[in-house]
Amino acid sequence: MSKRILFNVLQVLVVMGFSPLAMGVLNRFKEIVQSKQGPSIFQPYRDLWKLFSKDEVVPEESSWIFRVTPYIVFVAPIFVTLLIPVLTDYPLFWAFMADMVGAGFVLALGGFFAALAAVDTANPYGPMGASRTRMVGFLAEPIFLIVFFTVSFVADSTIPFIVQQKWVTPISNFFEPSHILLLIAFVMLILAEKGRIPVDNPSGHFELAMIEESKDLEYSGKGAALMKWGGWMKFFVLMIVFLNVLLTPWGLASTLSWEAVLLAIPLVLIKILLFIVFLVFIESSLAKLRLFRISEFMSAAFVIAVIAMLTSAFTQ
Amino acid sequence: MILLVLITIPLAVAVLSSFSRQGRFGGTITFTGAVVVLGLTARTTLEIVFSRQHLLVAIPHWITLDALGAVILLLVAVVNLTAALFSLGYMDFKKTGGVRRYYVNFNLFVFSMLIVPLIQEPSLVWVAVELTTLFSVLLVGFENTHEALEAAWKYVVLTIMGAAIALLGFLVLYWAAKQVAAPYHTWQGLLAVAPKMSPVLLKASFVLILVGLGAKIGLVPLHTWLPDAHSQAPTPVCALLSGVETTAVLYVILRLLPIVSAATAIHAKTWILIFGLVSVGTAAFLLLGVRDYKRLFAFSTVEHMGIILVAVGLGGAAAHAAAMLQIVGHAVTKSFCFYAAGGVLLGMKTRDIASVRGLIRRAPLTGAALLLGGLAIAGAPPFALFLSEFSILKAGLNQGEYLATWLLVFFIAIAFFAIINHVSRMVFGPDENSNPMRPGSLPVSCRITLIIAAIPVIVLGLFIPGTLQKLIELAAAAMGG
Amino acid sequence: MQGFQDMATIMGNLNALAGGLFIIAAVGIVATRQVGACLKFFIFQSIFLAASAFLLGARPFSTHLMAVGVINLVTKVMFLPWLLRHLLKEEVYARREITQVVSIPTSLIIALGLTIGAYFFSLPWLKAAAVTGAPRINVPVGLAGLLLGAYTLTNRREAVPQLLGLLAMENGAFFAGVAIAPDLPLIAELALAFDLLILIFVVGVLTRAVHERVGTTAVGALAKLREEGHK
Repeated sequence: MSKRILFNVLQVLVVMGFSPLAMGVLNRFKEIVQSKQGPSIFQPYRDLWKLFSKDEVVPEESSWIFRVTPYIVFVAPIFVTLLIPVLTDYPLFWAFMADMVGAGFVLALGGFFAALAAVDTANPYGPMGASRTRMVGFLAEPIFLIVFFTVSFVADSTIPFIVQQKWVTPISNFFEPSHILLLIAFVMLILAEKGRIPVDNPSGHFELAMIEESKDLEYSGKGAALMKWGGWMKFFVLMIVFLNVLLTPWGLASTLSWEAVLLAIPLVLIKILLFIVFLVFIESSLAKLRLFRISEFMSAAFVIAVIAMLTSAFTQ
Repeated sequence: MILLVLITIPLAVAVLSSFSRQGRFGGTITFTGAVVVLGLTARTTLEIVFSRQHLLVAIPHWITLDALGAVILLLVAVVNLTAALFSLGYMDFKKTGGVRRYYVNFNLFVFSMLIVPLIQEPSLVWVAVELTTLFSVLLVGFENTHEALEAAWKYVVLTIMGAAIALLGFLVLYWAAKQVAAPYHTWQGLLAVAPKMSPVLLKASFVLILVGLGAKIGLVPLHTWLPDAHSQAPTPVCALLSGVETTAVLYVILRLLPIVSAATAIHAKTWILIFGLVSVGTAAFLLLGVRDYKRLFAFSTVEHMGIILVAVGLGGAAAHAAAMLQIVGHAVTKSFCFYAAGGVLLGMKTRDIASVRGLIRRAPLTGAALLLGGLAIAGAPPFALFLSEFSILKAGLNQGEYLATWLLVFFIAIAFFAIINHVSRMVFGPDENSNPMRPGSLPVSCRITLIIAAIPVIVLGLFIPGTLQKLIELAAAAMGG
Repeated sequence: MQGFQDMATIMGNLNALAGGLFIIAAVGIVATRQVGACLKFFIFQSIFLAASAFLLGARPFSTHLMAVGVINLVTKVMFLPWLLRHLLKEEVYARREITQVVSIPTSLIIALGLTIGAYFFSLPWLKAAAVTGAPRINVPVGLAGLLLGAYTLTNRREAVPQLLGLLAMENGAFFAGVAIAPDLPLIAELALAFDLLILIFVVGVLTRAVHERVGTTAVGALAKLREEGHK
């Protein structure tokens, strides 16, 4: 029992510790692909350190929401980490608390508060970004639901630990059309949810064109650090869900021993590294869509998700 | 063997005319080929009527001909001959380029129509039907005007869309046959196993094929291409398209009918009846407002296809025989109508009904032909179509299908009024607007065509030769009860 | 034996995957903005059709299905793009956005409705035929392909996308066909292929004629022939 608690805490530490690194690698790699040198892969850690040691400025007009939001944004992915298979393919101590739908809700809660806080500041750019995020969110929501429904339809469960086994036992399940199509839809969803190209440009600094980034423009010091870190963790958690639950449920610890769990850490990091390479490939080969074309991108994802559901219905 | 020779002739002529330098040569050999084809067809038809089995086998299970097929074959051959004859003068007169292309396509088109009734394998019949579209598309767009190209485009898009739907229907038919292990996938083989086939699959395939090929026949609502294509094509092609291409495609549905009728749960005849009535009704009302006389005859084709389907849908030997007579009468009369209309077009250079007046005084031959054609196609006595329409109505009343029959009477009456109204104004109307028509401008071959094509129109109304009567009865019997 | 069973299941799943991607390609033809992209989606669709034929024909080995697959690759993946590029170079490579009647997101929703409709239409057929395996995938997918192609035809107003819509309809019929009529006589297959070649050629030539004569291939704008349109 105590091991299960410890491993669960370890999962959280892995996510907290390595999510800035993942982001650093992603940024560096992208710069290299674009024939630039790019910052060190440890730059996100330095950013965090710098922000934590700075003073915080809070707008006078803002309410408690503005102050509370960084903590919610920071805690939501940590909470989700407790529920999903990060290092082990068996449920850990706190995994009983919610299934994948619940985890989705918790992640969405963080996004919701971030949007509220952006409106709260009365900075003109904040609400604009918030409303755009909501637009993307509204479009992404039905796809999230369809993906979850399809998964639960195929695997007869919404518990991530059951779902991940379903796709590989027997191995022929891996080639099920619903599985492959869901993977495609989910990648599109990750891109939209985390504001990557082609939905949004994360490295853009032009406030008018921002979607995701404009929400935390008003934060400084500790608040900014928590917001950024929370965002990176959310990204990390989404990748973990995609890789460990949907795509490659291999390389996880299957026994309740320290060696297995510690060995799982580098394996998971390697998977994430490969996925980052893939993401960079996508981001470098596509251009950002115009704002009103995003609905087309999302409806394409929606179509793919629905067709995944239909083909699984055909085969049943 | 004779059947194989029959179908190779148009192919050979197509090849030969592709080598010819002058257009004249292509026309001549096309005409010669048409004469030979008609001769051979007449011989095979006689053989079928007088043989004991009423069947002619060239390649067992692949190419055979029975009475129903023979009717279609005969009609194609007859109209082919008149169309080839009309083409001679028409192409000379038009002096457009691409004469060689015209004759190559013309013969390929005729070839595709000739093979439809001969092939026994349904999926190959589908291919043949699709070929009739593909070989005629470039003929429809031959004049290369904005309108002609538009017509050709609509034609190809709608009919091939229908053909794709029908293809799925044919594949489902194959599926249904495979489930009961049909020994041969031919019309006959399907007929033998039809009672055992799954009614659901049979119905699915029937509806798909009816809707799909319905586009090609010109059934409402997929009829919109028909007046365009049938009016924009060169006149001889119009005659072929309207007179026999529609009929050749209709033949496929007639073939399918006894197979699907084996399962009563399908209500195949009700489907056909409703499709037919809707088409007749729509065409009748559209005929009232027509402004282009070639479109007038094209809409009349939609109307007649509807009438034939209604007759088939009524069912029974009497209605089926009447439907066959209607098919024969329509093919002969409609082609004649288009020759007359083509004659008017060559003389007046306009398709507008309102600008053609007093034809009987300016061009007596064309005027008389148009009048004759108009009366015959509208179904006035004593022409063949009057006879067949009357038989259809009688059969309908005998069977107690009062609603359908009276609706049909109503629609036919409207169509009759519309056609006669337009034609009589063109022929007799006072020619106040001076659109001078050059006298004697109609080429000789076109004149001869008008006279030759008029013969069956007149004769068939007065008396039907015993052999033809026998053939029609046999063909009606092949359509099942 | 176990491995054999697994292999069969994997093949079945891959066939289903080809079906899913086939529909997505069909939706792609409905919803892209450029002629070139339409053509690419069509080529993908044909490749998935060929893949389905190969997968179904692999075990037990069927010459017919292999032939269907090869014919498909040759006619639609190689010949069609080659011909279009020769006949209508400027059309296929045009970077302009092509018009459509209904906006793209609405089209996508309609396309989904058609796909779901196809499933429900074909359900009774599958029940009547009491089949297991490939037809359960291929018939609904094929019907969906047919309907989506028809929708492309009505929604697009350009010549080349309309041609692709026509061919996509035939692709749909074939996709159902490889499962429900796998042993169609070889002569029929060849005739179908021949037919396709002529179709592509004829429509290509016609499009070129329209382009030369009318100056555009936006065939939706061709509306001279109408009852009320005459003077």
